Amino acid sequence: MAGKIIADTLETGAGADISTSYVVNGSAKAWINYNGQGTIAVRDSLNHSSLTDNGTGNHDTSFSASFNNANYSVATNNVAEINHARGAYGVGVAIAGSGTAILMTTSAIRLYSNYNASSTSNGGGVDHNLNLLNFMGDLA
Amino acid sequence: MASELRVDTLKDSSGNNSVGMAYVAGGSAKAWINFNGTGTIASRDSFSVSSISDNGTGSTTLTFSNAFNSADYVLNYTTGYGASANFTGTAPTTTTALIQGYRTDTGASQDRTYNLVALHGDLA
Repeated sequence: MAGKIIADTLETGAGADISTSYVVNGSAKAWINYNGQGTIAVRDSLNHSSLTDNGTGNHDTSFSASFNNANYSVATNNVAEINHARGAYGVGVAIAGSGTAILMTTSAIRLYSNYNASSTSNGGGVDHNLNLLNFMGDLA
Repeated sequence: MASELRVDTLKDSSGNNSVGMAYVAGGSAKAWINFNGTGTIASRDSFSVSSISDNGTGSTTLTFSNAFNSADYVLNYTTGYGASANFTGTAPTTTTALIQGYRTDTGASQDRTYNLVALHGDLA
């Protein structure tokens, strides 16, 4: 039987409490841990329906349940590669030269992983092993 | 009337997807924002961020609706590819964080179209 509880505050047995507003609005509505190398593969995820490899560092992911608008927030990772000339690399929202997102809709987003450019090396795309993303916003 | 639930564990109606309240209380983001940092900076959507201030190229101050209990929260700052962003040398406070977008090749400050920030920690 489905259940529904209406409350303003949740409290643990130890007395720490939190407004349900933070639970509803602050919980990640989707997250994904995937390997972008070789045959792209999801290790684990929440509310993720598909992952598409468009080329080096260029990946689309879609959500099982859509957001209510395309203005959700994304937290991504940078990875420090030890003893590599170009050091850190990371994954972010793929944007066009105009600065607009190439694909960021209520149901899908295009990601781009790249080396951080340095004074001596460019910031070219790279398939990297650890791609870790959290998505926050309201679901439709 | 305000109501309060005291529970140790949350589960769905089938008894699955169990999560301890400590993870719900501690693991929920206490604030997040998606804003455009170019031109007149503007929030697209946010939660528990009361204002954003443009301090100059790439530099933005976030002010939170509700204060954290310490300035030791975690801040994730994501931009579109081609640049990076970080806390600046200015220490964060319980109510504000100063963040900076910049080019990684030159180190020059840069306004970014997509600024996606999430904060985790305990509220005051």
